[in-house]
Amino acid sequence: MSSAAPSIPAAATRPIGGEDPIWNAFRAELQKLGAQLTIRLLALACVACPFAFAAVLKVQSGTPNDALFGVYAHSSGYALSLVLLTFAGNWGLPVIAGLIGGDLFAAEDRHGTWKTILTRSCTRIDVFVAKLLAAAALAVGLTLLLALASLLAGVLLIGANSMVDLSGVTTSSGQMLLLTVLSWLLCLLPTLAYTSIAILFSIASRNGIVGVLGPLFVALVTQLLFLIGNGVIVHLLLPGSAYLGWHGLFTAHRFLGPLVISSLVSVAWIVGCVWASLAILRRRDFLASAERRGPGWRTPVKAVAATAALVAALALLSDVGPSAVTEHRLSAAIGEEFNRLTLRQQELIGRQVPAGAKLDVLPTCNRRAAKAEGPGDWTCSLNVYLPQAHAVPFSATSVEYDVSVDAGGCFKASSPPSFIGGPTMVDAAGETVTNPLYVVYGCFNTL
Amino acid sequence: MYAVRAGGLTKRFATTTAVDGVDLAVAPGEVRGLLGPNGAGKTTLLRMLFGLVAPDAGSVELLGRPAADPGGEALRDVGGFVEEPAFYPYLSGAANLSLLARLDGGPSAAAVTEALTRVGLDGRGGDRVAGYSTGMKQRLGLAAALLRSPRLLLLDEPTSGLDPGGTQAVTALVRELAADGVAILLSSHQIGELERVCDTYTVMRRGRVVWDGSATELICAAPASAYALATSDDEAALRIAAEHPGVRAGRARRGGLALALEADRLDGFVLALGDARVAVRRLDLLASPLETMFFALTADDAAVDRLEPEELAETVLAAS
Ligand SMILES: Nc1ncnc2c1ncn2[C@@H]1O[C@H](COP(=O)(O)OP(=O)(O)O)[C@@H](O)[C@H]1O
Ligand SMILES: [Mg+2]
Repeated sequence: MSSAAPSIPAAATRPIGGEDPIWNAFRAELQKLGAQLTIRLLALACVACPFAFAAVLKVQSGTPNDALFGVYAHSSGYALSLVLLTFAGNWGLPVIAGLIGGDLFAAEDRHGTWKTILTRSCTRIDVFVAKLLAAAALAVGLTLLLALASLLAGVLLIGANSMVDLSGVTTSSGQMLLLTVLSWLLCLLPTLAYTSIAILFSIASRNGIVGVLGPLFVALVTQLLFLIGNGVIVHLLLPGSAYLGWHGLFTAHRFLGPLVISSLVSVAWIVGCVWASLAILRRRDFLASAERRGPGWRTPVKAVAATAALVAALALLSDVGPSAVTEHRLSAAIGEEFNRLTLRQQELIGRQVPAGAKLDVLPTCNRRAAKAEGPGDWTCSLNVYLPQAHAVPFSATSVEYDVSVDAGGCFKASSPPSFIGGPTMVDAAGETVTNPLYVVYGCFNTL
Repeated sequence: MYAVRAGGLTKRFATTTAVDGVDLAVAPGEVRGLLGPNGAGKTTLLRMLFGLVAPDAGSVELLGRPAADPGGEALRDVGGFVEEPAFYPYLSGAANLSLLARLDGGPSAAAVTEALTRVGLDGRGGDRVAGYSTGMKQRLGLAAALLRSPRLLLLDEPTSGLDPGGTQAVTALVRELAADGVAILLSSHQIGELERVCDTYTVMRRGRVVWDGSATELICAAPASAYALATSDDEAALRIAAEHPGVRAGRARRGGLALALEADRLDGFVLALGDARVAVRRLDLLASPLETMFFALTADDAAVDRLEPEELAETVLAAS
């Protein structure tokens, strides 16, 4: 090297990395996402599915009775939106979170482009934060899109009608709108938790498929644990538990305990997954593409074994803690609700019900299993005694309900038509309406 | 100030030490060739310079900045790529460039067009990268590096996959940039491609630097050039070779003779053949002095003197 070598030229005139690098990286992420078909299809699905569901309900008479509010899906648009919310919380939103978060990082591995973007003006942390923001923005955007579409589909195709809540109280259209919107908003947090799980899966495995299926697997395990466990603790600690938090808003005695705890749990999942993802990414060596890493079958086998062990441990632990579903809670909830719904039925057929009227109902519930407490199938008999003088005319009778209760404290009670009539009835105005006693939905506080 | 200064860089993998205590310095305006056979550790070294891989030991300084937190600020005014440049296949070449420009904070359509023109991709910038050939990706990688108006270019095998025209264009571009004071480090496993480009060479073998110096020094140090020779009388030619100092000859396995000639011995030997009425039917340069040096440095048993001419010729033939 001769000493006469030219000196280093002055810095380029064009500012490089002049703006905030995270903002630059974020906009680059948006450019990539905007060019990909998957995201556009996902957005389309979020809009189309609620309308398709509503349209199908319009042309046929069946109802999704098993979901909360399902029996009212024909009579109120809000019920339709809430049925979709239940489905979205169980499967739809984890799938969306997986598709967004799962591919965002692994796509760079698939295309081998980590080295391309990390040799520009952004650090790994800049790129990580930008991708995180893009994932969060997409997850929130698609959830809100789904919420809006489900509300619009319900209101436009079914109608913005008032309906009974989870305590049997008739709730006005305005109130329902408010509560439904709030419920959807409350689902943002667990959706972000699932997104960060997807991100962790995708960063740890460097594989988009693992990233996409990971959250779905977590959702599956959540559903399984929901079916088997009696205890309240494990259920509350699962990332999806916050999807059920909205139930407490739809009861006469509002309860927010599970909502607050599960939302905090969601935040903990987000923080934990993001922290772990960042730790992995920071330590990573960006070497040649994955196929050069040899026949790695050990790691997948280990991962599968560890996952199986974790699920087994969770299943064992799911009985730990007080049981959420007790005879006392269930009969109190169902007794009160039956009382209101009976009066509601009397109103519908045109009988005068004085304000504050009350039946004399004695509920007794029994679990149809060896153990007296826990979710599953119950039988409740509601003994209605002769009312006081001048009260609502109603003859003494006993109504049997088959009640299926889930671990989150929500139940669906149904009874054969011989007791309470068919699924629909004709009201005083001659209209066919949903029989409020045919299927009864309710929820009670599990804490 | 050096554009690149690395000291004691080491990277170990499970079974190999890919880079083993490498020292490297590149000055502004210098074009340094990083030579070595496949697996010598060139790419791993460049990855460490880029901060893509954390060294197990050693230090890196680019343009006077220590790479404490790799990426970002540490790579300001540094451009280049390692291995085959990778892009988003679903975006066009131009869109890929504007995305990368955006990461740098200033997307400018004019700069993108200019970079594409400079690497001979004008007209194809609108096509999706999924349909690009290896050579086109290589050109796009170069364009992406130029987009940063770099003061230091790190290029990993920039001519691999390029057609002869492309190789020549890259060579010209590199010289042009170096004349503007840009420091350039480019790796290759074929010294032939770099012979007229580089001012200095760092030759690596199994993770270690085995030679470091200017092109002239390398040629001076080169022990011999290798030739393939066919004559009317190979027996006589062998005899004459044995009488000439600095000329070694042997029978090549594929017929004819293999020669190893020290510098300035060719003329005398060919004239002697003529004097002895041995006709030269074919004389091919198998390996230039730089090439033999390269093979010598990177061959498994190091000293070229110990290589029989035939072996040398075979090695060269096998490698080319
Ligand atoms: N991801 C990796 N895991 C293990 N060994 C690797 C990896 N990448 C490269 N190596 C090894 O490091 C050595 C140097 O490789 P590399 O830097 O790619 O060489 P070059 O670019 O000079 O051909 C080789 O022996 C190679 O097998
Ligand atoms: Mg290489």
